[in-house]
Amino acid sequence: MRIPILKLHDCLLVSIQWELDDHTALQFQEDLLHKIHETSANGVVIDITSIDFIDSFIAKVLGDVISMSKLMGAKVVITGIQPAVAITLIELGIGLEDVLTALDLEKGLEKLQQELGD
Amino acid sequence: MTNQSCVKIFNEWDIVAARQLGRNVAKELGFGIVDQARITTAISELARNIYLYAGQGQICIEKLYDGGKSGLKIISIDSGPGISDIRQVMEDGFSTSGGLGAGLPGVKRLMDEFSIDSSPGSGTDIRATKWLR
Amino acid sequence: MENLIIKFIGSRKDQLVNDWKEKMKNEADERALRLVSDQVFSGASNEFVEMIISNLKETKEQFNNRLNDFSEKVVRLGWPLHFVTEGLRTFSKLVWEGMQEEKYITEENQMDVIYTFERWMTPLQNDVVDIYSRTWERTVSLQKIALQELSAPLIPVFEGITVMPLVGTIDTERAKQIMENLLTGVVKHRSEVVLIDITGVPVVDTMVAHHIIQAAEAVRLVGAKCMLVGIRPEIAQTIVNLGINLTQFTTKNTLKKGIEAALELTNRKIVKVEGTK
Repeated sequence: MRIPILKLHDCLLVSIQWELDDHTALQFQEDLLHKIHETSANGVVIDITSIDFIDSFIAKVLGDVISMSKLMGAKVVITGIQPAVAITLIELGIGLEDVLTALDLEKGLEKLQQELGD
Repeated sequence: MTNQSCVKIFNEWDIVAARQLGRNVAKELGFGIVDQARITTAISELARNIYLYAGQGQICIEKLYDGGKSGLKIISIDSGPGISDIRQVMEDGFSTSGGLGAGLPGVKRLMDEFSIDSSPGSGTDIRATKWLR
Repeated sequence: MENLIIKFIGSRKDQLVNDWKEKMKNEADERALRLVSDQVFSGASNEFVEMIISNLKETKEQFNNRLNDFSEKVVRLGWPLHFVTEGLRTFSKLVWEGMQEEKYITEENQMDVIYTFERWMTPLQNDVVDIYSRTWERTVSLQKIALQELSAPLIPVFEGITVMPLVGTIDTERAKQIMENLLTGVVKHRSEVVLIDITGVPVVDTMVAHHIIQAAEAVRLVGAKCMLVGIRPEIAQTIVNLGINLTQFTTKNTLKKGIEAALELTNRKIVKVEGTK
């Protein structure tokens, strides 16, 4: 199953609704980069409210796709990281230091507009 | 034993099965959401290690009852190449697979108890326990 | 043989209790005595001796009830365990010596008396230690729960701004609890900025700082900003002397300044309303 990627003005919206397995995660990485190329989007919001755990592999895939998007000129905001997920990530030692985050999709879009504004 | 259930790890999909099993058992034992996430993540890391480095092995989830306490133990066993320098793999940031290198030390931090037994050529046996607070 | 001992104790009970109290006052560590008045000490001592005797005379059940009551009381009084076991030993010694003086013990029955003493004292000692430690454990676990309840509340002060005041020592267990409260609260209240107030934390060492940094990072992951306020001079000194790097997040010395900064971050400020009386 592929993760749908929606276009909204110059942004892309992704909402991950089910548990990511390795294959889906890698497929998503590829799909998103293609979509950025196709639409020349400036920003991406990835909402992961429904995800209740992230291990180091998925964190790496997410981190990589963010760096790759940056290289292609699109800023990425991750939204809706659950408390339990944030705690396990920090305990694993994964800080996702350069990643922009926001509470939910709405705040994520606001943040993206701010970032793209200046 | 009724207190133990296992998943054999052969391919990527089995990683999903292993953490599903762990999450169900954790829920059944009454762990909170954060601990469920800790346990699921730890299982995922261990299962992925088996898949990446040993090719095959198994993950067992055991329910523990010790006096008034209950807990969950993850047992990860494979007969792969083993680990030659355990101290090195327990260091943060060490990785041979191009991952984040958070795997084993991360699992140790997520769980309450952690032990590892391995030598080159004889596989790896990792046990990690989380107690219900 | 038990009857012989009971008879002896019965005949000299008051004197035994007095002797025992004298001896124990010398033995007792200052703390046990300073904490309680003479009267209370005396009462507890009487009860203690009664309890030892009851072990010989009464049924197991009666004795257990007495023991439970007594151990709860002395735990509250703060008698250390070694004082209680020493008390048992002293009492049996007094009885032994007394019985020798009074010629209760003869060449022939000497061994029997020793065995009886043994049968009397050893289980008694085990029971006392067992009940005593169980009472302690219960007290400790109750206190733990009480401490958890007083753990970190999260207070919404303005829209998008919440404060978490931390009070008391922070250990690993509490730090985890605090982190969970903090994050679920941030998400629940949809906070943009959360202020952690450490005015009430007596010591900030590397471990505490580490937990606070972790909490701040986790707050950033869920999409909010974390600010550390209430940093006293001595805390600033220790943080720098220990080489802890807190430069990555905003710190303020008081909650007031923190809230002003938080308002600024969310594009607001407090203004004085003019023209009103």
